[in-house]
Amino acid sequence: MEDRSEIPPGTLYMLILKTLARLGSMHGYGIAQHIQQSSDDVLQVEEGSLYPALQRMLIKGWVIAEWRQSENNRRARFYKLTPEGRKQLSRELREFERVMAAIGRVIQPA
Amino acid sequence: MRELWRRLRWWAHRDQFDRELEEEMRHHLALKAEERGLNAAHRQFGNITLLQEDSRAMWTWRLWEELGQDLRYGLRTMAGNKLFTAMAAISLALGIGANTAIYSFMDAIMMRALPVRDPEKLIIVNWRSKGQPGVVHDFDGSSHVEDGVTTSGNFPFPAYEMFRDHNHVFSKFFARTWGGHLNLVVDGQAYLAEGEYVSGGYFDGLGVRPSAGRLIGVGDDRAAAAPVVAISYSFWQGRLGGIADVAGKSISINGTPFTIVGVAAPEFGGVNPESPGQVFVPVHDMAAVELDHYLHLPEHFTDGNWYWIEMMGRLKPGVNIAQAEAELRGLFAVWVRGTAKTDKEVASLPRLFLEEGGSGLDSLRRRYSKPLFILMAMVGLILVIACANIANLLLSRAEIRRREMAVRLSLGAGRLRVMRQLLTESLMLSVGGGLLGVVVAAVGIRALTLLLANGSPDFTLGAELDGRVLIFTLLVALATGFVFGLAPAIQATRVDITPALKETRASQARLRVKLFGARFGLSQALVVSQISISLLLVAAAGLFVRTLRNLNSVNLGFNREHLLLFNLNAAQAGYDEEATKQLYADLQGRFRSIPGVRDATLSHIPMVANWTSTTDVTIPGMPAPPDELMTAVALVGPHFFETMQIPILLGRPIDERDREGGQNVAVVNEIFAKKYFPGVSAVGRHFAFGGKQQQDVEIVGVAKTARYSSLKQDIPPVAYTPYLQAGKARHVQWMYFELRTVGDPLALANTVRRIVHEAAPQVPVADVTTQSRVIDRTITNERTFADLCSCFGVLALAMACLGLYGTMAYAVSRRTGEIGIRMALGAERRRVVWMVMRDVLVMGSMGLAIGLAAAWEATAFLKSFLFGVKPNDPLTMAGAVAILVACAVLAGYGPAARAARIDPMKALRHE
Repeated sequence: MEDRSEIPPGTLYMLILKTLARLGSMHGYGIAQHIQQSSDDVLQVEEGSLYPALQRMLIKGWVIAEWRQSENNRRARFYKLTPEGRKQLSRELREFERVMAAIGRVIQPA
Repeated sequence: MRELWRRLRWWAHRDQFDRELEEEMRHHLALKAEERGLNAAHRQFGNITLLQEDSRAMWTWRLWEELGQDLRYGLRTMAGNKLFTAMAAISLALGIGANTAIYSFMDAIMMRALPVRDPEKLIIVNWRSKGQPGVVHDFDGSSHVEDGVTTSGNFPFPAYEMFRDHNHVFSKFFARTWGGHLNLVVDGQAYLAEGEYVSGGYFDGLGVRPSAGRLIGVGDDRAAAAPVVAISYSFWQGRLGGIADVAGKSISINGTPFTIVGVAAPEFGGVNPESPGQVFVPVHDMAAVELDHYLHLPEHFTDGNWYWIEMMGRLKPGVNIAQAEAELRGLFAVWVRGTAKTDKEVASLPRLFLEEGGSGLDSLRRRYSKPLFILMAMVGLILVIACANIANLLLSRAEIRRREMAVRLSLGAGRLRVMRQLLTESLMLSVGGGLLGVVVAAVGIRALTLLLANGSPDFTLGAELDGRVLIFTLLVALATGFVFGLAPAIQATRVDITPALKETRASQARLRVKLFGARFGLSQALVVSQISISLLLVAAAGLFVRTLRNLNSVNLGFNREHLLLFNLNAAQAGYDEEATKQLYADLQGRFRSIPGVRDATLSHIPMVANWTSTTDVTIPGMPAPPDELMTAVALVGPHFFETMQIPILLGRPIDERDREGGQNVAVVNEIFAKKYFPGVSAVGRHFAFGGKQQQDVEIVGVAKTARYSSLKQDIPPVAYTPYLQAGKARHVQWMYFELRTVGDPLALANTVRRIVHEAAPQVPVADVTTQSRVIDRTITNERTFADLCSCFGVLALAMACLGLYGTMAYAVSRRTGEIGIRMALGAERRRVVWMVMRDVLVMGSMGLAIGLAAAWEATAFLKSFLFGVKPNDPLTMAGAVAILVACAVLAGYGPAARAARIDPMKALRHE
């Protein structure tokens, strides 16, 4: 629990987009859970950043939201990728890989 | 684009959005609680409201929405505190209104540019000298004396020609002089119009275009040129009804035929905003137009010691004013040295300097700019007091709203966000106050115009609420809102949340220190500053009121009451010199026989009206005494001394014996006698008058010294000579008549008009007034200052008292519990009163100490406006201090008494 890391700035959108790409559609809590679990509890999504980020993505048109019954019969807002969101995801992934590769080159022993 | 659409759709459904978001949060929390337990879930989730706000914020143009919220909230708060809002708005309206009114005058006088091409390139040429320069033998124009330094823009004509032909710094160089009232006849219809004599390069130099025909050019301004004039657009449209064939029309000016060649551009009224020109006459035609004076002498254009023409230049590209000044100063120094006739004249040569001329000749600015700066400073200070008051009210309100602030802060509102909201409220107040202030200003401008004009019919200064003034008002309003709102906003958001929420009275964490046993915080500091500013304004008011009183009690040397004054000008109505003299003598006789008139006389200028007529005096066989003051002349009729009631000390007054052709005589005042004939009787002695045509004059009497032109300036040596003996030096044209009456002088005005009409139907009776009014008009500035400053002083006092009262009342209400305990423990009521009053006195004396120190320095600026009282007059200062102490005690006693009436039981129970 104590060893959780902050999500690197700028990558939260990508993580959410990727999660939705993988799960199809999911509510906020599920998205946070998924990111946490698939990162082996390293990455924790703060609610304080998650919901504003989701709203932002709605504005940008990367996701759409709809109210549905959740798995345990509660009404929940489910988010789903739009084609626009998919494009954005691949853009962000490309960019991320490019940056990672660059960082890797910098920190690799010569 | 789609993004915008989504945002708009969100805006339409934002209530639903809020509900949904809340539900989403609940869902999230519930899931989390299942996993980790309720408390942990809440702890981790953090601030739900803030989260909702943040999520919401994603959708909106956050600033705008918050602004809207702030405005709505502010309106609600304001509506909930009607008394507070009204008080704040009124004091702001007064403060901002006064500032706007004074600023509109400053704007009209100092910042309005002439309606000409590139006005910023225009330069005015002036000279200054210590004392009266000896090379100035004759002078027609306006000069200004301050601290012994004379400045003027009038030069000899040869100097103008020299500058025009030899300078390298101006692309255009031109001249003008004031033409006074001219009698015009167009198509058989007579008009009185303001004239301006202009050089041929005038319109070209200013870059003024004609709106009809053409304007005066260099070819028109020659001795032999055809006589032509140009007229102003307003004269054409307003007086001539915009007649179509205006160019080429014949016009007679003072009886001389001219042709109108054209009309100047609309808006253009000459270069002197104080007296807009309506008719522009080439300067070389002056001789043909001027009936009066010796102005038509040919020497006018050749005499190097005759100062009368005013000059302007347009800077060449790339030349600045300092370079131009350096060149012209050199040219003038050499030239003027050549005109000096004696060593004494060499010693006091005038020195040239340049001024920017974009807003025209500066007689107006010179007259009003310093008074306006002083008034501006005063209204500025009043606004500061008003700000301090509102800041104080806001501070105590912030105290009341501490709980609200604490709640908001604890719910996660950012400090900046709360401050912004408080500032929005302040700005709403100040902008509201500013709007009201515009109304106050409109009234103030009208009142001030009346006050400054003081019955003068030629007051043309039009101050108005134009766009620039309104922008100024808006800026002032915003600045004040910021100034008085910032401190309370900072203070309000420095809440220590937990105790504030628990809300006990003892738990107030305010920034304060103890001084001389008195509690001292921000609001106390504000009160101290208010008191010190009030002292400054009250002291200034005291100084001006005393100045006015001193001026009103100046010993005139004659009796100002029951004197009717009016002006006749028979020459302009077509009378020749002989007929004029005959008419005036005849009328004087008729006036003297009116029942209710004790005596009647006439003089070429009214006394104590800021009019001066000077001349050179030489005593045969005597060296000229040092010339501190030029000798002044009054051309008077018989019975002058009897009518004015100026006692004759030696010899006889001027009477009917003193006619043209007889021995020239004069009655001189004591100062004249002492200056030229020290230690001996002046009666029977002779002196010579005038620069050009010298006249031998015998002194027949010495009169007791009486005021000549002004209440303030030293009385010059005066020679009173019969107007009939003025000879070639001055043609008898217009004269002022003085009638000593038994009752109200103005009651006789119609009798006088009837008599004049019977004797000479064509001669109008002009400028009917009384001697008292004439004198009053010379002290308009002082009266205006005294009136305005008294108002400002009272206003400042009232606001400061309000501030003091409010602060103390609030302090007492906060200390109710403490006072209750003290009283329960046996403190006497007297001690409680003292406890409160001590705070009042500490604040008061600190304010007074600061105020006195400030007044000591600041009143020195008022020196030139004071008369008979020194800037640091101890009596005035003491009076101001006494008034303030009295007001402070009065304002403080109410809350003190209330403190003493506190019932200990109630107070403790309340705690």
